[in-house]
Amino acid sequence: MPPVRMRIRVIAGCAALILTGASTLTAQEHSYAPADIQAGQGLFQGNCSGCHGQAGDGVQGADLSSGRFRRGSSDEDLIRVIRSGIAGTSMPPHESLSVGDTRTIVAFLRSLPAGGVVPVDDREVRVGDAARGQAVFEGRGECTTCHSVNGEGGLRGPDLGGIGARRSPGSLEQSILEPSAEIRAGNRSYRVVDATGATVTGLLLNQDTHSIQMMSTDERLVSFLKSELREFGFASSPMPSYQDELSGDEVADLVGYLLSLRGEDAQ
Amino acid sequence: MNLRGLVFVQIVGLAGILATGSNLAYGQVTSERLLEAGQEPRNWLTYSGGYDSQRHTTLTGITPANVVDLQLEWVYQVRSRAGAAEKFEATPLVVDGVMYTVTPPNDLVALDALTGRAFWIYSHTPSQDARVCCGRINRGVAIHGDTLFMGTIDAHLLAIDARNGRLKWDVEVADPALGYALTVAPLIVKDKVVVGPAGGEYGIRGFIVAYDVETGNEEWRFNTVPGPGEPASETWEREDSWRTGGGSIWVTGSYDPELDLMYWGVGNPGPDWNGDSRPGDNLYTDSVVALDPDNGELQWHYQFTPHDEMDYDAVQVPVLVDMNWRGEDRQVMLWANRNGLFYVFDRTDGEFLHGSPFVEVNWMDGFDENGRPNQVLAPTEGGTLIMPNNQGATNWYSPSYSPETELFYIPSWVDTFSVYTKRPVEYVEGQQFVGAFPTMAMPALGTQPTNVRLPEEGFGAIQAVDPQTGDIEWMFEMTDVTDSGVLSTASNLVFAGGREGYFYALDARDGSMLWRQSLGGQVSAGPMSYEVNGRQYVAIAAGAGLFVFALPE
Repeated sequence: MPPVRMRIRVIAGCAALILTGASTLTAQEHSYAPADIQAGQGLFQGNCSGCHGQAGDGVQGADLSSGRFRRGSSDEDLIRVIRSGIAGTSMPPHESLSVGDTRTIVAFLRSLPAGGVVPVDDREVRVGDAARGQAVFEGRGECTTCHSVNGEGGLRGPDLGGIGARRSPGSLEQSILEPSAEIRAGNRSYRVVDATGATVTGLLLNQDTHSIQMMSTDERLVSFLKSELREFGFASSPMPSYQDELSGDEVADLVGYLLSLRGEDAQ
Repeated sequence: MNLRGLVFVQIVGLAGILATGSNLAYGQVTSERLLEAGQEPRNWLTYSGGYDSQRHTTLTGITPANVVDLQLEWVYQVRSRAGAAEKFEATPLVVDGVMYTVTPPNDLVALDALTGRAFWIYSHTPSQDARVCCGRINRGVAIHGDTLFMGTIDAHLLAIDARNGRLKWDVEVADPALGYALTVAPLIVKDKVVVGPAGGEYGIRGFIVAYDVETGNEEWRFNTVPGPGEPASETWEREDSWRTGGGSIWVTGSYDPELDLMYWGVGNPGPDWNGDSRPGDNLYTDSVVALDPDNGELQWHYQFTPHDEMDYDAVQVPVLVDMNWRGEDRQVMLWANRNGLFYVFDRTDGEFLHGSPFVEVNWMDGFDENGRPNQVLAPTEGGTLIMPNNQGATNWYSPSYSPETELFYIPSWVDTFSVYTKRPVEYVEGQQFVGAFPTMAMPALGTQPTNVRLPEEGFGAIQAVDPQTGDIEWMFEMTDVTDSGVLSTASNLVFAGGREGYFYALDARDGSMLWRQSLGGQVSAGPMSYEVNGRQYVAIAAGAGLFVFALPE
C-alpha cells in the first residue's frame, strides 16, 4: 500500500521536526532499487538483528524503524556509523561490511515503514486528550502493570516510549481493542505447559532442539527442557482486550496519550 | 478475561512448575542475601562466593569417591568480535538457575545454568582510548537487587538490568586515555557498589570509589595514593611523585559485616621498576587497607612491600577466617602475597601475627617486631637476580580456605626469579610508565604453544598451607605455572587448573590427583560451584570457553 506508507513517513517526520532540535531527520537522498533493499534486508538480518531485532526496534533509544537517527541523517552518515561503530556504546564497528553492502542496509532501513508493521489506517479513529489518556494508562487501564514508558513500569510487555512516533492512531486503537490482531515478532507471547498442566507464559528469549529460555510474565528468567514439557509454542497476546473495559472516550484519550509518546529526546 | 484474572492464572502455573524443582523461587538479591550467601550454596552471589572470600562451597554432591565420574555438561564459547579471547578471567555468578558472566572484553551474558544457552547478551564496545597492560579482560560482575554491575576496560561502571540486559546507568569512573581501566569484579556492600581502577603500569593515581547502587552517584572515594595534606602523604617524599604513584585496584576485596570493615589489596607503585623518582614507602601501594564501607575512611593498613621496585602488587583476595589460631579464637585474615610471603593478620586491627615464605624468597631476610620486612635486594643498574620473579609467587589468582581441613590453598609459582635492571623512566600521559622490563622465563601471558622450560626456572603448583605455622602441608606440582584460582569443597575436594589447560580435582587432605580434564586452553580464572534442581555443577573458564561439569544423572 504505497500511499499509506508515504503518509506514515510524513507523520513521523513532522513529529521529529516539532519535537527535537538535536534529533536528526531522515534525509532520504534518492530512491532505492528493490534488489538493494532485499539485499540489505538479508545483511540486516545477518549482522544487525541480533541486537536491533528483526524489526529494527530491539535497542531502546535506537529504534531503527522510527525513521529517525541520532548519529546522522545522510546515507553517508549512516554508512559511517554502521562501519565504524559508536565508541562508548554497545554498537560495534562492522568493518568487514563493504561500503556497497552497507549502502544496501541503509536502503533497507529507509524502506521500513515507520513502525515496521504496516498499520491499519482505513478506519475512523478518534484521538482524545493525552492528559486524560495518561490517567487511564496509569489508572483504570492498569497498563503500567505490563508496559513501561522510557524504562518506568512493567517489563512483560514492550516499552511504549516513542510508540507515538512509530504507530498510527488506527494501529494504536486496534492494539487496544484487538491485541492479538497484529503483534511484532519480538513481542509475541510464548507459552509452555509441563506434564502436570502447569503453564508459564512470557517472552521467548532463546531456544534450541532440547531447551527453551524465556522471561516469564513475572519478569523471571526461566528455562525448560522440551522433553519435560507437554506443549510449547507461541500464544495469543496476554494483553486483554479493552473493548468492554473502557469507554469509547477513554480509548480515544488513551490513543491521544500514546500518540504523545515520542521517545526520549535524542542526545 | 480481564487483566487481573490472566496474571493470576499465570502465577499459579509458575508456582506449580517451581514446586517440582528443589530451587526456591527467584527473589531479588538483597543485601541480606549477600550477607547470608553461605546459607544458599546452590547460588554463587559474589566474585569469591561470599563476603569472607573463602571460595569454599558447602555443596557435597561431588566427593572424592565419585569425582572420577565427573563429566562435561556444557560449554559456552566466547563470541568475541576481537577474535580469540586473550584471557578469560571471569568468575561467573549464579542466581537461582541463571548464570551471569563476562566474556572478554566487556560482553555481559545471562546464561541458563542448566544448559549454557543465553537468555541475553549486553555488549559494550570499549572506547578506542582504552589501554590495558595485560589483556583486554574482565573478572566478573556483582549483583544487587535486579541489577548487575560491570566495570569496563574504558573505565566505565555500568548498571544493567539482570532481567533483560538493558542499561540502567553508566558512569565514567576515570579517563581511559590516561591508562585507567576497570577489570575488577565490583563488590556490593549495603547499598553501595565499590570498585577501583587498574592502570598501575600507566602512572595512574589509584583510588577505591563507592557509588549508590540505585543512582550511580559517587558516595565516597579513598585515594590509595594520598595527595598533599592527606594522611601518609609524607611517604611520597618527592614533590608530585604521588600524581603518578599507581596504587591500582584490580581484584575484588572482602567484607566483614560484624566488624563492618571492608578490605582491599592495593597494586604496585609507579613507575614499577625504578623507584628513584618516588622516595619513601609509597603508601598505600602494595598494602591491604581496611575501610569503613559507609564513608571510605581508613581504619588500618599494612604494607607488604614498602617502596616496591619489583612490581609486587598486593592485589590478592583477602581471605577472612574465624579460627582458633595458636590457642586463641581470633578473627584473622590469611594472605599469600605476590612477594612470596604468607601472612596472618588480626583483621580487627591489622596486627601482624605471622609472616613466612611459601617459595624461595631472597629480596628480604626477616621482619621487625611490627612486621616490616627487612629488604636486602633491589634492582640495580647492573641487574639484580631477585626471587620470586616479576609475576610473583602468586598473584591475582584466588586462593581458597577450607574450614574442614583448616588448610589455605594457594596457586603458586614456585622458585622463580627475574633479573631487575634499573633504567631511567619518564612519564608521558597514556603511555606505559614502568622502567626496564625484568627478565622472565615465565612471562605474564602464557602464549607459548610449547614448553621446554629448564627445571631451574621454577614451576607451578597448588600448595596447601597450614595457617598455624605457614608450613606447606602438601604441594601438587605442574610443569608449567598457573593463573588459576582454587575452589575447595566441604566434601574435601580442591578444584584448580593451570596454563597447560588441565583442570584438576585434588584431594583437599593430601593433594592427590583424583580427576583431570584437558580443556585445550589456559586456565586464567577461578572455579566456582552451584546447584540446579539438586545437582551440583563446577564451572571454570579456560582458553575462550566456559566449561561446566557435573556427575552423570
